[in-house]
Amino acid sequence: MTPQAATTQRALQRETTRRQLVAAGLRVVAKEGFAGASTAAIARATGKAHGTVFLHFRTRDALVAELVAEVGRAMSNRLAELEREAPTLANVLDAHLRALADHEVLYARVLCEATTLPAAARAQVFALQSGIASRLRRAYARARARGEVRDIGSVVLANIWISLTNHYLMNRDLFAPGASVISKCGSALKAQLLELIRP
Amino acid sequence: MTTELCRSCGSCGFPMRTPDDHAGGDPDAEYCSTCAEASGTLKPYDEVVQANADYLVREQGVDLHAARTMARALLASMPAWQGRR
Ligand SMILES: [Zn+2]
Repeated sequence: MTPQAATTQRALQRETTRRQLVAAGLRVVAKEGFAGASTAAIARATGKAHGTVFLHFRTRDALVAELVAEVGRAMSNRLAELEREAPTLANVLDAHLRALADHEVLYARVLCEATTLPAAARAQVFALQSGIASRLRRAYARARARGEVRDIGSVVLANIWISLTNHYLMNRDLFAPGASVISKCGSALKAQLLELIRP
Repeated sequence: MTTELCRSCGSCGFPMRTPDDHAGGDPDAEYCSTCAEASGTLKPYDEVVQANADYLVREQGVDLHAARTMARALLASMPAWQGRR
């Protein structure tokens, strides 16, 4: 093997290990929550030595921020799949509900523990929410221009929707025991929001 | 779950979908149009913090001071600003 090939292989190996750690981290979080996701537990889930974690993430906080970022990226990608020229409010709500349904267990964990997460991880949640809010704002402006909705302000609209979905997600064990709360309640929540802003 | 459908801005993490999301409309640009000049050069740190804070204020009504703190925490976890506060 040439020195270059060896370097490339080491870089690939490094990337593979990093991905394994992130994937294992997400599995542990889904099961135990962030509180139970110690670096030792995550290393154990990959079958690697505890120290391996710190070759890839300087601190546990850095790893937790990366786990939340990974959930955020997956949800953003899911949202983007449905991008069209000028989505209606219903289109945006549907896309958001699909993204939430796909990542319901992990995202509910993120929300429930958000205030105890490292600042960077909590900021990831708000960055993701801004992405939803900004899509809602643009769709809402178009609907306003057509006189289809009444004026409650786009920030209020976004915050009502975000708090509604977050509330159901955070209490999913009560609203939909043993099932997906988004599958069970999502379309009703969407209908309620659209009803609320009817002129 | 790791998906690479769209690239994230190396400065703020914003998912860049369309060429317009990238600095200067260049799909190969590493940073988003908010964080970098049209030439692709990263804007100064304080400007990037302010732009990211403004986004949180505009879309969700977060308190400006809290939004700045949150923006700094977010940036510190990104490749372009690793560890910076
Ligand atoms: Zn950016």
